[in-house]
Amino acid sequence: MAADTNKFVIPIGPQHPALKEPANFEFWVDGEIVTGASVRLGYVHRGIEKGAEARTWTQNLYLMERICGICSHVHATAYTLGVEKLAGVKVPQRANAIRQLMAELERIHSHMLWLGVAAHEGGFDTLFMYSWRDRETVMDLLEKISGNKVHYSANLLGGVKFDITSELAAEIHKGLDFLEERNHFYMKVVTTDETFIGRTQDIGTMTTEKAEFLGAIGPTARASGVARDIRVDAPYLIYDQFPVKVMTHTSGDLHGRFIVRINETFESIRIIREILDHMPQGELTTRVPRRIPAGEVVSRVEAPRGELLYFIASNGSEKPERVKVRTPSLCNWSTVLSLAIGLKLADMPMLLSGIDPCFSCNDRSISLKRGQQGPQVWSWEKLRQYGIEYYR
Amino acid sequence: MASTIGSLGAAEAVLKPFAKAINRPQPERLEVSIHPDDLLAAVRALVDESWGYLSAIVGLDRPGQPVTQGESQAEGAIDVLYLFCSGAAVVTLRITLPYSQAAIPTISGITPTAMLYEWELREMLGVEVIGLRVTGHLILADDWPVGVYPLRKSFTGFNQPVAGAEGA
Amino acid sequence: MVQQTLNSSWQNVLTKVTAWARINSPWAIHFNSGSCNGCDIQILATLTPRYDVERFGIKLQGSPRHADVLLCTGPVTMQARDALLRTYEQMPEPKFVIAVGSCGLSGGVFHGCYNIVGGINELLPVDVFVPGCPPRPEGIIYGVAVLLEALKAGKRPEPIQWSGSGLDGVLHSGSGLEDHHG
Ligand code: SF4
Repeated sequence: MAADTNKFVIPIGPQHPALKEPANFEFWVDGEIVTGASVRLGYVHRGIEKGAEARTWTQNLYLMERICGICSHVHATAYTLGVEKLAGVKVPQRANAIRQLMAELERIHSHMLWLGVAAHEGGFDTLFMYSWRDRETVMDLLEKISGNKVHYSANLLGGVKFDITSELAAEIHKGLDFLEERNHFYMKVVTTDETFIGRTQDIGTMTTEKAEFLGAIGPTARASGVARDIRVDAPYLIYDQFPVKVMTHTSGDLHGRFIVRINETFESIRIIREILDHMPQGELTTRVPRRIPAGEVVSRVEAPRGELLYFIASNGSEKPERVKVRTPSLCNWSTVLSLAIGLKLADMPMLLSGIDPCFSCNDRSISLKRGQQGPQVWSWEKLRQYGIEYYR
Repeated sequence: MASTIGSLGAAEAVLKPFAKAINRPQPERLEVSIHPDDLLAAVRALVDESWGYLSAIVGLDRPGQPVTQGESQAEGAIDVLYLFCSGAAVVTLRITLPYSQAAIPTISGITPTAMLYEWELREMLGVEVIGLRVTGHLILADDWPVGVYPLRKSFTGFNQPVAGAEGA
Repeated sequence: MVQQTLNSSWQNVLTKVTAWARINSPWAIHFNSGSCNGCDIQILATLTPRYDVERFGIKLQGSPRHADVLLCTGPVTMQARDALLRTYEQMPEPKFVIAVGSCGLSGGVFHGCYNIVGGINELLPVDVFVPGCPPRPEGIIYGVAVLLEALKAGKRPEPIQWSGSGLDGVLHSGSGLEDHHG
């Protein structure tokens, strides 16, 4: 992968605020235009898949939850659904309803978090502060339900840990009303603010065919008109009783990704209200054996960022034989790598955050090399500033 | 559900010529075992039918069972599973590679998404992916020892044993 | 350097002023060495209007060269180890390290995974541990406050007496500090 010697090679990473796993990107630029890109992951590679083989089925629940601090509930859900399928256990409806409710609350929190971060990358810090301030409402709700703001540990093998009492339901309703109102405001900002539109419209456009070809998933794909959503395609939990509407957009650019995510937030609010109003009665848990029968299972759920796939193999013992996790961000990397080509370097921060890799830390350095000259170091901050200045 | 069965049927028809064995572990899953040489053709057939999309590549290490004491161990194998999804339907192409011939051709020419998955497979399980253009590490540390593949069962961590691994 | 040419009383004043400035407005850099993002979003949340650490003069910024405090999250992975050490070395003296989250304390739930070196204190001298998975934003702010209180008394927080029972050891360090400047 040798780059042309008269072109810049810009490695970005490993520490970068808009990435789920701190990753290292390399962009080759010709002047201002990106001509090639590659990626290096692994800065937060912890060896979870191997670690899972040394832990019991129950211990793994907590390990899987901690794969990601933003979509922790979906990870645990995908894992428990898979294990329960292997064990042939049927979980009570009420537990499924609570799982789904938590998943949708998590989606709201994740999308609002993303909105803030993406706005920050584009230089709209006011929107970042607004959306994060309002996001605290969801965090409070999650905390009231579960006792923790981030890793709620709602799932057990065979059910859930907490019930939704009528007082809690009332609180959730109140919180949702507030969030809905704020979301209308964000929608207004995103669709009417001229500077915002200027930085998002027609940037990183991906046609429907291209999105399908590249295997894009989640909101990134839906913004390109690919109506792919596991909640609808392969309903799990009780999505068949409380169906969601797939939100798509036809523009395929960054702007479309904003609109899709905000629309999905509205949809999540609607679903949660519906679940609260028609909560099935019954038990919260059921028994799951300590040894899971041998077999292999594929479990797919829709995480806020797209399809999350678990492949679980059991050999009939207390520990899994293999747990394979395919996170949504991995799928979307390839879209970034190919979309970047032909774009301006200044658009990279927005493009990267556009796929919503969850962001993890706050500095990364970029060294800028030219031919044989010594490397120059850029921080992520500088690239972001550069992008903002460029559009002044 | 009807459409799921329908699309599984379509996939089965497409993959039939390559299949060594076909089974349905779950109602929404179809598993087709194929020979490594047929991989490209089988993937090509699915893509030409525009049947779903590649969702993941899973590697499973199956170390050889120690036979009886004194005898040499049977050779282990690595199963490579290609998971294609379309709606609720999941089709698995299963390839079994003995340790001594742990190599498969890349399918990234047919579906570009495969590139990162294949890279990961090579790095974590030591399956050589022929024709994969990328080199170097994707996930493991830069100073990771050569020839150590963490997802092989024979790997049990470096100095300190993996917690609770004994006897597993 | 300039300071060496100053006579001792000026030197004293200067030291006092810098200490005053450091305590009133510590700048922090955040480093993720393999965390799950849970801790990181909580650190970021401290910046947002609900918690707003900037009103205490605490500023989160990007370059290690400007930082007094290193906020570490996550267990240390093999790939991130060098980057973490490098970041620490680039910080000017005096520098302080706060480990945020159970992972930073001991590797947390990832303890024993092959790519994990261990907690932050395997590599760096940690001054304050903030337990929790993840800690609440208030907890993180409190962690910084504990550090600043110790600095006011003109010393680093005492090294931690690890009592062996997880949380106890951590809480110990907090109460130990209070004894110091009290
Ligand atoms: S302590 Fe918990 S929240 Fe923090 S990085 Fe570790 S697992 Fe994530």
